[in-house]
Amino acid sequence: MRRFDTPVLENRELSRDYRRIEVEWPGDAGTPAPGAFLTVGVSGTTDPLLRRPFAFSGYDPREGRAAFIFQIRGPATRLLSERRPGTVLDVLGPLGSGFPDPAPGSLPVLVGGGIGLGPLVFAAREFRLRAAAGGWEAPVLVLGFRTADQVPALDLPEGSVLCTDDGSAGFRGTAVEAAERAAAGGRYGPDAPPVFYACGPAPMMAALDRRAASLGASYWAAVEQWMACGVGACLGCAVRLKDGSFARACAEGPVFDGTSIDWGAM
Amino acid sequence: MNPDLSVRIGNLVLPNPVGVASGTFGYGSEYESLMDVDALGALYTKAVTPEPRPGNEVPRIVETPSGMLNSIGLANPGLEAFVRDKLPELRRRRCPVLVNVAGASEDDYLRVLERLEPEDGISGYEINVSCPNVSHGGLAFGTDPALVERLTARLKRSLRSARPLIVKLSPNVTDIAEIARAAESGGADAVSCINTLVGMVIDVDRRRPRLARGTGGLSGPAIRPVGVACAFRVSRAVAIPVVGIGGILEARDALEYLLAGARAVQVGTGNFRDPGTAARVLEGIRDWMVRNGASRMEDIPGMLDA
Ligand SMILES: Cc1cc2nc3c(=O)[nH]c(=O)nc-3n(C[C@H](O)[C@H](O)[C@H](O)COP(=O)(O)OP(=O)(O)OC[C@H]3O[C@@H](n4cnc5c(N)ncnc54)[C@H](O)[C@@H]3O)c2cc1C
Ligand SMILES: Cc1cc2nc3c(=O)[nH]c(=O)nc-3n(C[C@H](O)[C@H](O)[C@H](O)COP(=O)(O)O)c2cc1C
Ligand code: FES
Repeated sequence: MRRFDTPVLENRELSRDYRRIEVEWPGDAGTPAPGAFLTVGVSGTTDPLLRRPFAFSGYDPREGRAAFIFQIRGPATRLLSERRPGTVLDVLGPLGSGFPDPAPGSLPVLVGGGIGLGPLVFAAREFRLRAAAGGWEAPVLVLGFRTADQVPALDLPEGSVLCTDDGSAGFRGTAVEAAERAAAGGRYGPDAPPVFYACGPAPMMAALDRRAASLGASYWAAVEQWMACGVGACLGCAVRLKDGSFARACAEGPVFDGTSIDWGAM
Repeated sequence: MNPDLSVRIGNLVLPNPVGVASGTFGYGSEYESLMDVDALGALYTKAVTPEPRPGNEVPRIVETPSGMLNSIGLANPGLEAFVRDKLPELRRRRCPVLVNVAGASEDDYLRVLERLEPEDGISGYEINVSCPNVSHGGLAFGTDPALVERLTARLKRSLRSARPLIVKLSPNVTDIAEIARAAESGGADAVSCINTLVGMVIDVDRRRPRLARGTGGLSGPAIRPVGVACAFRVSRAVAIPVVGIGGILEARDALEYLLAGARAVQVGTGNFRDPGTAARVLEGIRDWMVRNGASRMEDIPGMLDA
């Protein structure tokens, strides 16, 4: 974990309001993993004041490049959208826990809803590269969006499933429904329940939680929570667990065993 | 000439005037790989209460113009877990460690102090009578001069060590100088100000507050002028040292407090933005002192033209 100023290599529009920023990531800054995140200081003024967290969407150790995908939602992401390649970005990371590897023999189904796609695009690439060595199946990536104009211009791995709520691109339906079909298409029986990896809006996560429970499946969830420090110091990013306790999204998370999270409290 | 940056609070000598504020720096190790924690003038821990506290419901944080609201709710593992799990690493620190103490009753504060007195690795106590984010205790004490005086006196009497007692003041009062005088009469070695201001943000589309608890504590540059005014008024009302807190991001911000009469400062929300803030602020204070011919921290308050 380090804080450093690093050149922006690319700032590209992926769809109507999604963009991808790629920065130089020196090897001695720590290894970004799928599910982990960085925080970005976006302005030299007090507006916005706080750093903003973004999940890594990719890391290339040979080229020394790391990327994140973001949606323009407010002042910080608007400023980021205007950052030119060649200018420097104030970054701090890598932070938080990443997705655990799939168990040998399993088929990982990666489910991204909306702007939650970044860590899953990253995980899909990693899990695919290491599938033979790790002994798991090539992962299936399922991405859901509201409408076609959100669908990002990205090279997705072969076999990826796209869906939209209105059917304007890919399958019509939710990412969770598509993920369940993808899991059923694998070689699963009652003895080998599927393993999901997910990041998305609260309703999607709640739906996945219900489906996973009825399938007896486990899943890993990357959560979002308001953050101030990003390093475990302020206790602002608490996530309510089903046992009634709190965990810090930035330190114990952002990846949690999804079945341990009290989604109703999110 | 190298200025002398040390600051005396009671029997304690801080190596430099720039500390990190309670609740914004965890227990120090969180920032270990990002900056030199041991070079801090002082590390004020997250509040310690007798019993473990899970903290408030979420969301606990929202950004505001040049500031933020928090309603953490004094979340902490409790006194015994603090001694068992946090104190060993704090003991190894080369910077002074001051434990921020909170409670719901006088006895709560007393229990924390009595338990910590025999433990080493603690340089002093900051008594938090100013937390706006819990329903009992905290602010309930900090707004009543008689209660502040009685609590301070009781705590001071209970101390076996020569560790200083700093009373942390709330700006959410009619007259902060009166509360500061009460702390001084009770025997406080210093006062620190300010804790956060009560604030609220409403999501107009959802027609509900952005924080789960409704209100929270405002911190950051937005409160700096309030903090500087408090430091100014309090330092004229009491003879004990004043520690200035609120919205410090740069050396110039800290110098406002020092010129206003504060002897030392704490960086809070600034740590979130840049973990290097305290170090940068200290460097800037040193440069300013050299440029302006101040050789000791005590010289600075007298340099204000007011
Ligand atoms: C661990 C983590 C990883 C993240 N990864 C990504 C990512 O890969 N891509 C991406 O686009 N965004 C990601 N986010 C969210 C991102 O940090 C916010 O979108 C960003 O801070 C918005 O800043 P802003 O000033 O543009 O908008 P603001 O005005 O601050 O916020 C605009 C709206 O965005 C939503 N929002 C903002 N921050 C959060 C948050 N922390 N949690 C939940 N909702 C929020 C709220 O609805 C808010 O009203 C992540 C957040 C966390 C905590
Ligand atoms: C997230 C957060 C948690 C805090 N927790 C405590 C606490 O436990 N005890 C305390 O005395 N003050 C606490 N404070 C108040 C700060 O120590 C400080 O007084 C205040 O934030 C103003 O300084 P700043 O503007 O530099 O942040 C907290 C502040 C923040 C932002
Ligand atoms: S954001 Fe501060 S503890 Fe997680």
